[in-house]
Amino acid sequence: MLEIEGLEFSYLDQGLPDMCFDLDVMPGEVLSLIGPSGSGKSTLLNLIAGFLEPSCGQIRLDGAAIETLPAAQRPVSIVFQQHNLFPHLDLYTNVALGIDPSLRLTPTQVASITDALERLGLGGLEQRKPGELSGGQRQRVALARALVRRRKILLLDEAFAALGPAQRSEMIGLVKNLVQENEMMALLVSHQPRDALIASARTAFVCEGRILSLKSTAELLEQSTLPAVREYLGST
Amino acid sequence: MKPRVIPAALVLGLLAFIVVAPLAGLLNLGAMPGFESGDLRFWQSAYMRRVLVFSLWQALLSTLCSVLPAILVARAFALQPAFPLRGFLLRLFALPLVVPAVVAVMGVVSVYGSDGWIPFGRSLYGLGGILLAHVFFNLPLAIRLLLPHWQAIPRRHWQLAEQLDMNAWHRWRFLEWPALREGLPGVMLLVFMLCLTSFAVVLTLGGGPRSTTLEVAIYQSLRFDFDPIRAVVLALLQLGLCILVASLTLKLQRLPEVEITVDTSDRTTGPRLRPLQLLLILLAAVYVAMPLLSMLLDALAGPLLKVITRAALWHSVANTLFIGLAAALLSVGAGWFLLRYSAGLALAGQPGRARLIELAGSIVYVVPPLVIGTGMFVLLSPHVDVFSWVYPIVIAVNALMGLPFVIRTLGPALRQNHARYHLLCQSLALTGWHRFRYLEWPLLRRPLGLAMALVAALAMGDLGVIALFGTPNTATVTLLIYQQLGAYLIPDATVTALLLLMLCLTVFWLLERGIGGRLDA
Repeated sequence: MLEIEGLEFSYLDQGLPDMCFDLDVMPGEVLSLIGPSGSGKSTLLNLIAGFLEPSCGQIRLDGAAIETLPAAQRPVSIVFQQHNLFPHLDLYTNVALGIDPSLRLTPTQVASITDALERLGLGGLEQRKPGELSGGQRQRVALARALVRRRKILLLDEAFAALGPAQRSEMIGLVKNLVQENEMMALLVSHQPRDALIASARTAFVCEGRILSLKSTAELLEQSTLPAVREYLGST
Repeated sequence: MKPRVIPAALVLGLLAFIVVAPLAGLLNLGAMPGFESGDLRFWQSAYMRRVLVFSLWQALLSTLCSVLPAILVARAFALQPAFPLRGFLLRLFALPLVVPAVVAVMGVVSVYGSDGWIPFGRSLYGLGGILLAHVFFNLPLAIRLLLPHWQAIPRRHWQLAEQLDMNAWHRWRFLEWPALREGLPGVMLLVFMLCLTSFAVVLTLGGGPRSTTLEVAIYQSLRFDFDPIRAVVLALLQLGLCILVASLTLKLQRLPEVEITVDTSDRTTGPRLRPLQLLLILLAAVYVAMPLLSMLLDALAGPLLKVITRAALWHSVANTLFIGLAAALLSVGAGWFLLRYSAGLALAGQPGRARLIELAGSIVYVVPPLVIGTGMFVLLSPHVDVFSWVYPIVIAVNALMGLPFVIRTLGPALRQNHARYHLLCQSLALTGWHRFRYLEWPLLRRPLGLAMALVAALAMGDLGVIALFGTPNTATVTLLIYQQLGAYLIPDATVTALLLLMLCLTVFWLLERGIGGRLDA
């Protein structure tokens, strides 16, 4: 289980609110984060990934604190909206970098890359460059890399925002399967409430650097009485 | 919607006249008075070979000595996104762009000359001096040209590198080198071209016939040996080399295989503070600042009163100001009409032709000023006294040299402006002067001011064509400095160089602020 407790962070002089997060994610769960821009969703992911340093608080995975580890040693994979792949390297190399940046791989590891690409519907495209792929295919490569890394925490920072509705649902389906099979814990930041509905049993509403509400997705989206939530959703 | 042709056609005609007419003069070698086919025999002489080899050799060494350290320094700047004085140092590296070549030469002499802080070898004059001066100009230029390639690396990639546990070598291999590879050949060829056509530096720091480049040999053939035929052959050779380098540049422009970027954030999640990188930056800054500082100190201790009380100085200051301002006006005017026409073409769905028009404005990269000067000399000398035509020729050539800068500073803003408001202007029938007054002046005065300031400063500091045509009466300050150097009046030349630098910076500042308006306006 991923537990986040009293995790605080403040951007100095950037006009953003001070942040403080409490949250937990179950194995096999994709938890959605929604909320206005600037509310702190991406900050939370960056804190978990280790790109930002919290001023205090804890991040625990199965009871072990990870917030002091350097980014490279955290059990975390992240997928961004774009720039997930190095454009001059072929797909195989892009995925292989997830295992070892020196690219010295065992035969088993090489096989795992082929498997992962196959699994995500990219079999046989190992030698292609990212520029030859569609936006959806590129995001699948990023997922394949996350898969071969075998890290327990998966962070999706608006990973599907640039895709069309049908492709988004398909990708979310893929992610749900991967997360359940491998008992991973995933956090999905999205601007589309509909994504949360498809992806997550539970959704957190982030506002002004706080988790304002964390409950079943349907309940949050349809029955919340919090003014901030209603304002964000545009429901009156 | 047809872009207006007439002003642009006038400009293109003028361009063609300035460039093509002299070239025709050059190519018409056989028709020159006194020409015999035996005159071409020196083509195979040892002198010719020496000049050619030295031209290429010094350009190659200058390029390597400038660009290779520039890669290290640009990397240090990129990986150290925040340290005190970072912005100041980057601005310092923009300074050599407006520092006249003769001023840099005086600075180099002041630091590395036999009486300087760091005396250079047996003699500064020759390859050593040329390299020191070329690196002074091109190291900062290369740093500023290379830095954007690091900044173009998406922040996401740095974060991924962190997550994927990449060390410095991996980052260089997977992130930095691929980003750099796209731009490096272009930067190297540009620096090579600048060093190949560099005139003032080689003229003043080259030591006699052993270290003469084509450019200086052309000048010597015309001014000292009165051998126009040799000058023409040398000019044609120089032209051939430049065309070769320019076509290589066009060919090597690799199309980058990158995703379309919308990430505008510039916060780099880079590695932590490294003393070695700061040391590199510091060394580069010292290298650039030292000649200017040393020259300043030398000049202040020099014969200030003697220099500023001479009438020749003030006469040359007046000439310099006239040439600089006239060239700036002509250049910006010509650039304006070219860009308007090109923007119109782009809007009308002809981006290829639009780009061609802009390329025409950069023709001076391919046809060096001294080649044009030689052509004019050969073309005009049978008919008129070329020395009385010095102003129009020098102003036209300097305006031509400024045109690429006008296109680069004014072009993007003008194109954007045109694309945004042209249709609106048409529907409001806002044209001509009124369009300029209400739309273009307020929105474009900043880049206009910058372009004017740049061209004026460049023209005022240029020692090139003026050396071919200048007489004591029509001398500019740069020519005066060259004459003082020739008479071994180094202290006088240093003082004059300081005055020239102050003059250029003042005019730059006045034009940029005067036309561009206050920064916060």
